[in-house]
Amino acid sequence: MADIQLPHGTGAPSAKPFNPWPVVIFIILSILAVLFLAPTVGVLFSSIKTTKEIAFGRLWDFPTSVYWGNFADILSNPSVQGYFVNTLLITVPATVISITLGILNGYVFAKLPFRGSGILFLVIISGMFFPPQVILIPLFRLFNGLHLIDTLWSVIFIHIAMGIPICTLLMRNFFATVPNALREAAILEGASEWQVLTKIALPLSLPALAVLVTLQFTWIWNDFLWPLIFIQSDEKRTVMLGIVNLKGQYSVAWGVQGALSLLASLPTLIVFLFFQKYFIKGMTMGAVKG
Amino acid sequence: MAELVLNNIKKSFGDIEVIKGVDLKVSHGEFMVFVGPSGCGKSTMLRMISGLESVTEGSIHIDGADVTHEAPSKRQLAMVFQSYALFPHMTVEQNIGFGLKLAKLPKKEIEEKVAEVARVLKITDLLPRTPRQLSGGQRQRVAIGRSIIRHPKIFLFDEPLSNLDAALRVQMRLEILRLHTRLKTTMVYVTHDQVEAMTLADRIVVFNHGKIEQSGPPIELYNHPANIFVAGFIGAPAMNLIATTLSTDKQGTYIDLDGLRLPFNLKANAVDKMSVTFGIRSEHLEVCTNDSPDFQAQVEIIEDLGSESLLYLQTNFSTEPLTVRVSPENDYRTGQKIGIQVDKSKMHIFDTETGRNMS
Amino acid sequence: MEKENRFWQIVFLSLPMAVFVILIIWPLTSSFYYSFTNWNGFNSDYQYVGFDNFIKILTDKLFYQAAINTSIWMVAAIFLPSLFGLVLALLIDSSVPGGSIFKSIFYLPICLSAVVVGQTWVWIYQPDWGLMNTVIGFIAQEKFNYAWLAKPDTALGSVILAWSWQQTGLSMVIYLAGLTSISEDLIEVCEIEGASTWQRIRLVIFPLLTPATVVVIALSVINSLKGFDILYIMTGGGPFNSSDTLAMHMYNESFKKYLMGYGSAISVVLFLIALTIIRIYFKQLKKVDEIYG
Ligand SMILES: Nc1ncnc2c1ncn2[C@@H]1O[C@H](COP(=O)(O)OP(=O)(O)O)[C@@H](O)[C@H]1O
Ligand SMILES: [Mg+2]
Repeated sequence: MADIQLPHGTGAPSAKPFNPWPVVIFIILSILAVLFLAPTVGVLFSSIKTTKEIAFGRLWDFPTSVYWGNFADILSNPSVQGYFVNTLLITVPATVISITLGILNGYVFAKLPFRGSGILFLVIISGMFFPPQVILIPLFRLFNGLHLIDTLWSVIFIHIAMGIPICTLLMRNFFATVPNALREAAILEGASEWQVLTKIALPLSLPALAVLVTLQFTWIWNDFLWPLIFIQSDEKRTVMLGIVNLKGQYSVAWGVQGALSLLASLPTLIVFLFFQKYFIKGMTMGAVKG
Repeated sequence: MAELVLNNIKKSFGDIEVIKGVDLKVSHGEFMVFVGPSGCGKSTMLRMISGLESVTEGSIHIDGADVTHEAPSKRQLAMVFQSYALFPHMTVEQNIGFGLKLAKLPKKEIEEKVAEVARVLKITDLLPRTPRQLSGGQRQRVAIGRSIIRHPKIFLFDEPLSNLDAALRVQMRLEILRLHTRLKTTMVYVTHDQVEAMTLADRIVVFNHGKIEQSGPPIELYNHPANIFVAGFIGAPAMNLIATTLSTDKQGTYIDLDGLRLPFNLKANAVDKMSVTFGIRSEHLEVCTNDSPDFQAQVEIIEDLGSESLLYLQTNFSTEPLTVRVSPENDYRTGQKIGIQVDKSKMHIFDTETGRNMS
Repeated sequence: MEKENRFWQIVFLSLPMAVFVILIIWPLTSSFYYSFTNWNGFNSDYQYVGFDNFIKILTDKLFYQAAINTSIWMVAAIFLPSLFGLVLALLIDSSVPGGSIFKSIFYLPICLSAVVVGQTWVWIYQPDWGLMNTVIGFIAQEKFNYAWLAKPDTALGSVILAWSWQQTGLSMVIYLAGLTSISEDLIEVCEIEGASTWQRIRLVIFPLLTPATVVVIALSVINSLKGFDILYIMTGGGPFNSSDTLAMHMYNESFKKYLMGYGSAISVVLFLIALTIIRIYFKQLKKVDEIYG
């Protein structure tokens, strides 16, 4: 007698008819999640199986034993160590500097607008929409002339420049939510514009910084095109170039490639997990509102 | 303590002129209130004084020094904003000490000064909290604390009480007055609320459309409004204003309200048949107890305010109802016909075209 | 105040603008310049060739193939992940148990690089032991041996699927953020008015998600224009140029054949296409702004 069905709206909450939807949705989501995880699991499996096992078609079987040889190979390979160092040497400064430049731009567009600043802002954020190939050749020529080809500098510089539009957009949107009265109050207290930025606007925009660190770090760390164009020698290669290059070094090296892919993905995963909470918040506050 | 002089100030945003020539002198220790309807340029005027907004034309002097082009931080002013503008990521203590920290005062000294200010404003308990954890009134106090700690020459307030509820507003009004009595600093206070203006001000400046309509002590503005705008704006309930025409004959100038002849001795030149506005405050109309009233009216609405009651009356000569103040112990009923007596010494006549008070 | 503002505007803007002008604006304009030359990338004694490169484009069969592929790629790479992301966001937002775990699972691929993703999906499409053929073989109960990436018919589509897998998480997060910003009041009004779930989604939630859609589309456009990496890894534009895009074509002409002048001409065309997209986008943005503030 417990589940007598009452017409809608008249019954006590405990007598609500059974609602199947959450269960259905849960099952759908679970199936999708398995499908979604499959490729990633593939990488994971490949890294702990021998290339021979994979070649025999056993990549997708659940591993019965763990083979650590791929990781040992990778970690003992000095050029692979170099790939990681190079990528870090590119990603960290490029991330920090591009965000810094975005902060400076964004502050002016949000808090110190001038005649024509709206148009300038549009010009800058239009930069986001251009395929990078458009500026590839002249940049190649420019860096060649400056003897920057085959140096990490070339990649750092271009990532700083390519990051300016998105960093400017997000910072401007975020700074715009900081009330003008706060800036004015600080100025009357004797703060310079620089102090308003560093002591008021930035501390209030930490979610935006989290978003940008996540986006820029991920994008620069994972980038393939620019190092492909600007880097030629093996000592200067980034991790992503390295993965592709492994194909050349060993004839078939699935296991080693899998292990390196896994290691190469860890930094971006860590950054994302670290900033996840702020990332979502930052997206809600700064980005979704356009 | 400082003297503030505004010299023919004008301000335009693009092609739109929002301040159209303001001359004003605020003396040492004076409590000056800018009042006027929303959008008339009070905030803009205040922000020009503070230096946050540039001046298009004219000059600003503080203690004789021309500060028109001086940076805001150099003018030694403090401003309390309508939104309080407290820094949300700092504690109350950090908020109040912010300016001193920027001035690189020793930490110990800042602490002492903040503690002193907190004691005066009775917010010592709140020091470790952040603004989010404060009520509106508390935030207001912190904002005031932040402004008084540096002993500014002039205090600027931009509608500081308009975000508070009615009871708190009255309380904070008193506290601001007390503060002024204690500090004796020059204050410029902006509000759109004429009650606030009347209660706080040593002197009121009434703004309208970027111009000063009249300035003077509250009572002077109340008793001798220079024009229709001030007459209608200052005082609650607002002055009764009735459109009519002026007549002249051998006996002098008068207006005729549905047979009631009200004679005037006008200062300005009167022209026969010119359109004028007759003004009389609600307390200068009296319900007549004898049988020779000036005019008859019908009670339309009765507002009992406790300490007094307001009658809204329908008459033959005015489309708008007339307001009359009566004692609360009355037994009028709506629809009742009553006789009204006019206090002939308190009448105003305004030139409808120019708005100028002619009486 | 104006003087100080001017000072700080210059202080703040000079460095970012210098970098932007030197590394973005100037190269952009030089691309136009090189597109009228026959520069080969090394010699400095190149010649002005007028519109030759552009005329060559008109007769370049591979260019047409690449342009068509680029259009297919852009439309699919923008539309599919956005749609998947929206569906996932709606499902997760229905307060299903384990929502945050699902969220993380679907978001995970975004953290992976195009190289890793490409690499992984190459294994999925691998003819002999790839997951795709294994699963199909299991269902059909016979050995299945299709070479997805090596057949012109399926190469581009296969890459688009891999791309969608990677990008879905991003639009999902943005839509989720958009959904949380919809006021509870509106949902309650729907309940009081007796709207069905579908009515609620169609009449209230979709319109209010418009600002989120604006962001999703913007990011999708940006990302798909940059979708050079994954194509390069998975197919290299092959087989027989069946997955060649303009970006890939431009790379091959410039850096494999060293026809930098011709490559520049292709990038100029790419630029003009991007410019058109931006203009359409900003126009739409203005409309949206007027409604949703
Ligand atoms: N920064 C600005 N740009 C353009 N117009 C402005 C600006 N600030 C104020 N105004 C205009 O100036 C007029 C006066 O504004 P304000 O001084 O804020 O009025 P009040 O404080 O008396 O309500 C208004 O019409 C307002 O729209
Ligand atoms: Mg104002």
